[in-house]
Amino acid sequence: MWVYEKKLLYPVEVTTCNPMLARYLMEQYGGADGELAAALRYMNQRYTVPDKVIGLLTDISTEEFSHLEMLATMIYKLTKDATPDQLEKAGLGAHFVNHGHSLFYENAGGVPFTATYIQSKGDPIADLYEDIAAEEKARATYQWLIDISDDPGINDALAFLRERENIHSLRFREAVELLKDERDRKKIF
Amino acid sequence: MKGSEEEWNMLKKVQQMDFVVVELTLYLDTHSNDEEARRQWREAIKVAANVRKQYEMNYGPLSLTSVPSKQAIDVGWQWNSTPWPWQR
Repeated sequence: MWVYEKKLLYPVEVTTCNPMLARYLMEQYGGADGELAAALRYMNQRYTVPDKVIGLLTDISTEEFSHLEMLATMIYKLTKDATPDQLEKAGLGAHFVNHGHSLFYENAGGVPFTATYIQSKGDPIADLYEDIAAEEKARATYQWLIDISDDPGINDALAFLRERENIHSLRFREAVELLKDERDRKKIF
Repeated sequence: MKGSEEEWNMLKKVQQMDFVVVELTLYLDTHSNDEEARRQWREAIKVAANVRKQYEMNYGPLSLTSVPSKQAIDVGWQWNSTPWPWQR
């Protein structure tokens, strides 16, 4: 089970209302390489991986949910005071008529989230390689977001998230090596 | 609704220490034999519990399983109260 913690993983401070930036951030909220995809991917794979890496998939998935909450906080704060006119100018007119000021799991282009973004192969090496790729793609997206954003508060939080993807990628690489060692030992005996 | 600056700073301390615990936990997931890291984790989890208790005594529960002190009950210990994390 999970217990909610009434705090963010890392503080999110937003400088000004900026619906265009919010729209870009949706790529990491409900996009193919975003936090929802990451959290759901690992949480689903963990049932059929070797015992040695269950803890890692559980812990990283849980952290991804806290990243999702950080993204939601950014998007909410950047759009809560925007007028329909400002939303429309930011390319969120279609979002507004369907969802008002509420959040929705979609990417920066407005495409709704789909489970087809993620895979669970029942093969731990294949799954972990997908996870490494996912972390690297998320890291790259955070870099593009930092490059396009001029909000210092948002950029501070994005830089934190970018570094977390680096760490997760590293841990998944180590997990691959742990499984390879285990497999090689089995061959010897 | 925003909390006071004092509250914000204390919450940041909780966030910092909880993050140290998260980071060391992930590290130990793939380095189970690293005794030095395990020692750091044991230390961090104690400090994290301590700063959490300090925060909760003054400003209320951070999770459903938080234990209220008498002081906390006196200042109006309530789960369902603002600000929620995205309202700060």
